[in-house]
Amino acid sequence: MSLANPTALLWALLVLPVVVFYVLKIRLKRVPVSTVIFWRQIFDEKKPRSLWQRLRHLVSLLCQVVLLGLLVAALAEPFFAGEATTARRVVLVIDNSASMNAADGGESRLARAKAEARQVVRGLRYRDEMAVVAAGAQPRVACGLTGHQKTLRAAVEGIEPTDGPTKLADALALARRLAADTAGGADCRIVVVSDGCAEDAAALAAGEGVRFVAVGAKVANVAITRFQVRRSTIDPIGYEILAEVTNLADEPTGDFRLAVALNGNTVDVKPLKLGPNGRWGEVLESTTADGGLLTATLVVKGEKGDEPYPDALAADNTAVAVLPKREPTPVHLHSPGGNLFLQKVLEANPLVRLTTSKELPKEYPAGAVKVFHREVPAKLPPGPVLVVDPTGGCDLWTPGEKIPSPVVTQQDKDSPLMAHVRLDNVLLPDARRLNFTPAAGKPLVLAGAATGDPLFALIDRPEGKVAVLTVNLDLGDLPFRTAFPILAMNTLGVFTGGEGELREALPTGATAEVSLPVSAAGVSEYLLRAPDGSTRKLPAGGVKTTLGPFDRCGVWAVVPNAPGAAPVEEFAVNLMNKAESDLRPPDGLPAVATAAETGLVGGLSGRPVWWYLAGLAGLFVAVEWYLYQRRWIS
Amino acid sequence: MALFGSDFLKKLEYLSLVSKRVFRGSLMAQRRTVQLGSGIEFADHREYTPGDDFRYIDWNLCARHDELLLKRFQEEEDLHVYFLVDCSRSMAFGAPPKFDFARQVAAALAYIALADLDRVAVTAFANDIAADFPLTRGKGRILSLLKFFEGLSAQGADTNLERVATGFVHRDQRRGLVVVVGDLYDPNGFERGLDILRHRKYEPHVVQVYDRYEKDPPDMLGDVEMWDVESGSSRKVTVTEKNLRQYRRLFDEFQDRVQGYCTRYSLGCTRTSTEVAFDELILRMMRQAGAVR
Repeated sequence: MSLANPTALLWALLVLPVVVFYVLKIRLKRVPVSTVIFWRQIFDEKKPRSLWQRLRHLVSLLCQVVLLGLLVAALAEPFFAGEATTARRVVLVIDNSASMNAADGGESRLARAKAEARQVVRGLRYRDEMAVVAAGAQPRVACGLTGHQKTLRAAVEGIEPTDGPTKLADALALARRLAADTAGGADCRIVVVSDGCAEDAAALAAGEGVRFVAVGAKVANVAITRFQVRRSTIDPIGYEILAEVTNLADEPTGDFRLAVALNGNTVDVKPLKLGPNGRWGEVLESTTADGGLLTATLVVKGEKGDEPYPDALAADNTAVAVLPKREPTPVHLHSPGGNLFLQKVLEANPLVRLTTSKELPKEYPAGAVKVFHREVPAKLPPGPVLVVDPTGGCDLWTPGEKIPSPVVTQQDKDSPLMAHVRLDNVLLPDARRLNFTPAAGKPLVLAGAATGDPLFALIDRPEGKVAVLTVNLDLGDLPFRTAFPILAMNTLGVFTGGEGELREALPTGATAEVSLPVSAAGVSEYLLRAPDGSTRKLPAGGVKTTLGPFDRCGVWAVVPNAPGAAPVEEFAVNLMNKAESDLRPPDGLPAVATAAETGLVGGLSGRPVWWYLAGLAGLFVAVEWYLYQRRWIS
Repeated sequence: MALFGSDFLKKLEYLSLVSKRVFRGSLMAQRRTVQLGSGIEFADHREYTPGDDFRYIDWNLCARHDELLLKRFQEEEDLHVYFLVDCSRSMAFGAPPKFDFARQVAAALAYIALADLDRVAVTAFANDIAADFPLTRGKGRILSLLKFFEGLSAQGADTNLERVATGFVHRDQRRGLVVVVGDLYDPNGFERGLDILRHRKYEPHVVQVYDRYEKDPPDMLGDVEMWDVESGSSRKVTVTEKNLRQYRRLFDEFQDRVQGYCTRYSLGCTRTSTEVAFDELILRMMRQAGAVR
């Protein structure tokens, strides 16, 4: 046995005053009494034990000396050589994923997991070390290896609930890396406290050196498993909602409803009743030019109206999606002779603010998409330009002879301009060959004839994109085809920068990339605002950065670091994870019911030697206190 | 403030006015002096024996029955009241000291007795008789008596009532009422002293005085050096709550023992704390005896 703090033995000198005080005896308080007749009767009753009474004071002195000796020995921190070699390293992995928020027994699973974790921490032996890892959306080390139980308990308590998926595999890999740093000979263990609601939980729990403590029971849950919105491809102000609701239980649900609202205004309500493990999915359509926040909520009929669906997990009973707003687009149509098809197809678009001219204007509406029919200026104006059936040349091309057989034989299906457009074998009469100038660069052929000549091309110049379609609208049947308005809408969509298109709702745990703009107002700092209102600083503007993983459901926003500033970007984040929503532990999970069964919850054993010495000293304090109370110094 | 100041004397006067034959009434016990002698109240007859005074022969009976019978009369004589006042050191205990209280009570009773034309004597004692005030009579002697009381001091070792009573009864004096004023803390027991008085035809009346702190001692818990003011000895003890409970029980038992003894032998008994004013105590005693005018 060795001493960690041998200088503490100097405290043993305190035995001298103890003995001196014993020898001298402290002057007692003098109390006058009129007679000792009664007191004598009281104290003389103990005569048979007078020997013990005489010895009791001596025993008291011995008690004090032994007490001092024990305390000094405890301060010297003795330890056995074997303690260092038998030290254990424990990595405690606590699942704080979305399913751990389920309240299936009054308190949440995470609260119970923390209680079990505290048991494991309490079972830590002297010289053992423990680390705490949170296995949420992004596994992280909540506390590095330490033997300080207070720090470990604080780390356990500091693990926040998240709506993220269980990243058990990553967390175990992290735990193994921590354990791998162990000095030779130490016993390494990984204790996972989780509900097992993860796809690979059973396999991971069976891993070597892993003790799995299961929390949570089998609970029914109904979840919104899919919720996405996108703008309609055929209706400029229309949008489509994809919703899916799943009953993750072995019994049927009661009657409930899925209520969809846009900015708080009801869009649709679907009455639902699902069988065991049943699933309902549907595409809902609606129209609005205004964007906003779409919210889907599972509700039941309450006494005074709709009430939230009462199942164990609330996070998947609500889903959100961001519907982009569609701004009106100014379009200027220049057609010397006029073309009813072209004009009507542009007017049919409710987002288009159309102006027309028969003579080439000197100025165009600000930010307008310029559409030239037949006549084109010598130099195309800056900004997006659509040219239909050009008869003359410009700075980007010169017209050639007519193409002999202007049938579309090739089409760029990947281009957003050609999305949902089928022009195969469509005749485009009077199509002319275009001889592109060097200023046009290398145009992208969107539709071409059999001769290889472009019939519909896209020129990407620095001043703006130019799309040119060589077809005489009055001769062919293109204006009568559904492809024509779609083509016009796609072109306008591409020209307006794609705004108002699909902005995918992300599942929790996902990341997103965003380019932070350099604000003209001089604001260069941006914040990522979580659904609960908390913010986090992002890198300075003008850089592309990765956000996430998002660990809470709701709308995350990138906002300039200025009061009252509007969000630059918004992300809808939903749980949308069947493994997390399914609150039934997987079969074959090799789990133990409580932390006590892991073998790490200790009782009195495993304490340091000084702890026992201090405890023994406490015992002697009690004995001395008893003697002090009973002592009669005669 | 003097022990027997003007206020004290006023109270004495008041007490003497409101009292009526305290000592011949039923205050101390129902008793009557049966000395026969030359009084005026006829008692009985007895046969004439030579040498008797002819003047007391009942000549009417002689004429009627031809028999010489002598008339006997109940002699009226002064009642002797003896005060045995404990002046041991234990009487100096308390606030106010029990000794002061005892002297005031004894003085008051003596004054009332003198006012009734009884004869009064005072004996101060501790382990033995310490001082005497001889038999006296008449209210005019009260100042001398008070001076005697004032001259007393708490002294002596352990109280020994038996020795005091033995010395007291061996004096050549008439029997009478013996008022014992003290705390009765006799290590050998107060009973033996009182027994001697009873056996010698004295009529003891006990006035037991105690201090409230004797009944319920404060600040005694823990290690203390207990100093006996009577014997001067001390002992180091650790007083626990249990010890205090035992003490209170023993003290109450002692009180009950005093009362029980007096009840058993039909002795007058008054137990009082020094918290009670002496005049209130005297009035209470007189009311109990029906001796208040």
